[in-house]
Amino acid sequence: MTSQSNGAAFTRRGFVGLAGGVAAATLLAACTPGGSGGSAKPIKFWNMPWGNTTFNPTDKQITLAYKPSAGLNPATYQVIQWANFTQTFSSAVASNTGPAVSSGGGTQAFQFESQGKISYADNLLDSWKKNGLYDDFLPGLIDTMKVSKGYAAVPYNLDMRVMWYSKALLDKAGAQVPTDWQSYLNTAAALKKIGVYGYGTGGGAGNFTGGHILVSWMINNGGGLFDENQKPNCVTPANIEAMSFVLEMVQKGYVDPASSTYTSANVQSQWAAEKFGVGFDTAGLAENVGGAVGPGLVVGSPLTGPSGKKGALYFPNNIMMYKNTPSQKGSEAFLTYYYKNMTPLWTKGTGIGLPPLKSITQTKEFQASANNVKVIEEWQPISRTWAAPGGTALFLGVTTVDGTPAMDTFTQSILGGKTDAKSALTTLENAIKANLKS
Amino acid sequence: MSTNSVVNRLQRAKAGVGVGGSGSASPRKKGRFSARTWTLIAFALPSLILLLLINLYPVIYAGIQSVRNGDLIDAGNFVGFANYAKILSDPAFWAAAQFTVIFTVTGVFGSWLIGLALALLLRTRIPGGGVFKVLLLLPWVVPVVVSATSWNWLVATPQSPLPMLAQALGLGNVLFLANPVLAQVTVCVFKVWISFPFMMMMMSSALASVDVNVYEAAKVDGASSWQSFSHITMPLIARTTYVSWILMTIFCVNDFPTIFLLTGGGPVNSTTSLVVLAYRTVFQNFQTGPGVAIAFVMTLVLVVISVALYRQIRKVNIE
Repeated sequence: MTSQSNGAAFTRRGFVGLAGGVAAATLLAACTPGGSGGSAKPIKFWNMPWGNTTFNPTDKQITLAYKPSAGLNPATYQVIQWANFTQTFSSAVASNTGPAVSSGGGTQAFQFESQGKISYADNLLDSWKKNGLYDDFLPGLIDTMKVSKGYAAVPYNLDMRVMWYSKALLDKAGAQVPTDWQSYLNTAAALKKIGVYGYGTGGGAGNFTGGHILVSWMINNGGGLFDENQKPNCVTPANIEAMSFVLEMVQKGYVDPASSTYTSANVQSQWAAEKFGVGFDTAGLAENVGGAVGPGLVVGSPLTGPSGKKGALYFPNNIMMYKNTPSQKGSEAFLTYYYKNMTPLWTKGTGIGLPPLKSITQTKEFQASANNVKVIEEWQPISRTWAAPGGTALFLGVTTVDGTPAMDTFTQSILGGKTDAKSALTTLENAIKANLKS
Repeated sequence: MSTNSVVNRLQRAKAGVGVGGSGSASPRKKGRFSARTWTLIAFALPSLILLLLINLYPVIYAGIQSVRNGDLIDAGNFVGFANYAKILSDPAFWAAAQFTVIFTVTGVFGSWLIGLALALLLRTRIPGGGVFKVLLLLPWVVPVVVSATSWNWLVATPQSPLPMLAQALGLGNVLFLANPVLAQVTVCVFKVWISFPFMMMMMSSALASVDVNVYEAAKVDGASSWQSFSHITMPLIARTTYVSWILMTIFCVNDFPTIFLLTGGGPVNSTTSLVVLAYRTVFQNFQTGPGVAIAFVMTLVLVVISVALYRQIRKVNIE
């Protein structure tokens, strides 16, 4: 039997009745607490693509598996792309349509904290002292999140800057793995003889690593950009010595002359072409280079600077909670669940940066990578944030150097070699001061 | 019809009442819209409001931002024209303005010359002309992200094809992106490469409208090819040429991705144009006021240039 549609069956009275029913249902729904059938409004969790294509699906699975206790809020998951993420977050937070919990740029929490948009993590961290999570963080990590009013965020994944070398090229050049600045020069000189650059780096479009490494050299020498009052203090003897050292390498031809404009892809292609023998990059360099060369890249130990110190720049990426949440208790409960269950992000090869928790670094999957273990064991303890040498914790002022035009210009002028250390550092300091003033 | 009634109707007509109308002979009130006008306004109003909301609101909001010292979240305090004074006294602004002029002049006239030459070439009957046209359009059609990546691959490292070629030609290690002057040249050439298909299309359509009989007449009068081109072709396509210049000037001044994707404005700001400077000021330095002020100054200059060129078009029309 075929069904028949009878237009007459849809009468005006029927339509009015139906419309009235829909309106009444909508009204009732709106009057219900939470507005969605009685369930609590969900905690919006926004996360970034921190790794490869498997990262966000795995992360989403963890998030959506969250079963809140009675009265607490469930969580929803949203991926935010890196492209224009500042604009995405800024406009969402400004219009109160943003997340309750999110990751984001390394200094994002401190920007929003200064705007009064962040909910401090002090209570959450207190609760983690009771359940053991607090003590599970790598040494010094939580301190990097502390601002004057409280903890702006919770450490999430670590973006490290470490020294890499190609064992094959070092063997070919008869060079040793450098351990201090003088031996670094010796190694670079040996590599130059076989047409390989000893200081592989890049500071081109969208590649901020070159600038990070310059600051790493400063920190390695006991320097850095900010003093203990969080004021820019760049023109110091330690920094001048460090930048003079880099400029010496540029003059001697140990640095690829096109480095100042290399994107991350260009840098990786130079490693893959065996043009870089030693250099500094993120902890994921070997994987990014891949092919035949990638597996032969090895993380070296931190160098000892002329002042006898060790040090490098690192970025403790973090997860922050916002005041704009349906429930602060709900946000904290979700984050507790998330941190207790996020291990697969590091054990399932999602490509995320290094873990913040000791328990994850002790898993057999993490221990399988000798490079990662070396980074955690040797580099993480000596690494400092942008706040060095004056402090440990990040603060709003670091946004004037993190991926800014001032830092780009500084990096390109040093890697271009057409400046002297003092002038470049003075220009940088003036630019930071001008940005802080406005 | 009596004389009286004709006179009466004429009076009514003078008073603004239709001859055949039956209303009183009172004159139409000046300055009042008719019902028909009100109806038209009522119909147009929603679109008008929408247009104002879409176009005018962002401009007004940006104008407000340019006189405040806010950032992306906080509107900040009113600072008058301090942001304008600040940018106009900043050497970085003038360096960016200088590069913007170089980039725009090269982009407009470089792409126009190549586009015109190709349009003239494609007007002649050559085998496979259609295929050539499609191939020549590719730089315009391909997304700029892809083009920029390709150009980066072509020039970025010493092992890239163009530096290798330069080395083979005995020019040494040519740093197309790392040398500030060469980086400017590279970015400008990239812009010309991306833009010439647009100019080619504009010029092709203009040339198609020129009557071939004019050339035959000129030939009969003994005009040379150059004379035909300079005295017939150029004047007849002048209007389209000016329009294409206006459009390309706007495209060049506002062009962000071409520069940003290839050099990021470097090395050492050598390829930073005004639009790149505005972006970096707002989104990397988080200074909305000065960044928007830069954009406003850009807009003002663009309007002046566009008006000047538009007047040229009107002159051509009159002539």
